[in-house]
Amino acid sequence: MSGQIVGGWEFVWASYGATWIFLGGYAVSLVVRGGWGR
Amino acid sequence: MQATAPTSPRPGFAWEHAVGALGIVLFVVGQYLGLFYAPPERMMGDVGRILYVHVPAAWLALVTFTIAFGAALGHLFTGRKGFDWATEAACETGVMLNALLLLLGSLFARPTWGVYWNWDPRLTSSAIMLLTFVGVLLLRSALRDPDRRATWTSVSTILAYVNIPVTYLSVRWWRSLHQVQSSPQTVADTMVLVLRLNAFAFLFLTIWFIARRWRIAARRAAADAPPPLEAA
Repeated sequence: MSGQIVGGWEFVWASYGATWIFLGGYAVSLVVRGGWGR
Repeated sequence: MQATAPTSPRPGFAWEHAVGALGIVLFVVGQYLGLFYAPPERMMGDVGRILYVHVPAAWLALVTFTIAFGAALGHLFTGRKGFDWATEAACETGVMLNALLLLLGSLFARPTWGVYWNWDPRLTSSAIMLLTFVGVLLLRSALRDPDRRATWTSVSTILAYVNIPVTYLSVRWWRSLHQVQSSPQTVADTMVLVLRLNAFAFLFLTIWFIARRWRIAARRAAADAPPPLEAA
């Protein structure tokens, strides 16, 4: 299709990877600091 | 003031774990759909898939800072410690989401705009949003007296929040490279579904983050509180 950006999957993978790292990393930091209990 | 929370985790099931588990399931499904099910965007192609994580991160950063704002007002009006802990929890979670949304925005900007960063009104106000709330957390960590710390956290959170409506409306107020807000009427149903799924995943995970961070703040406050006076 004319005018459509071609490729760019490396940016897509980097974005999804960064999301997992940020959310997963923050979740781990909360468990390390606060455990699982109430 | 007497401690109102335990100083260490109590055994038992915390309600937020159910919300967090639901968030993880939705997150895994949403990520799969965003990568492999949603169609390429008409102009942006596969790069448009970044929006399924960038937009939820932006929405939840704004929501989380709004929770911090409400909790800060709640603390100033009532003096209840729970509001102070909620302010701290929401500010920290919001900073994490804000940093993520800026990173994702940069990764989206490079293939679409040709640059990782531009001093565009939306990007600039989003960066200011991050810096001001980092400032709130730094100020909080620098104050030792619990009452002063809580008051200054509330006041600085309210001041930092002034920039949130500016950030949200910047794409309408000024000429901006960043697109204006879309509506479901202008987006394909498949894309709306994947976006909403990821947004709910981010929402449930954010609830878990704030609730867990609130418990940490509560325990720290209880540990810092002076022991109750013994009866004569």
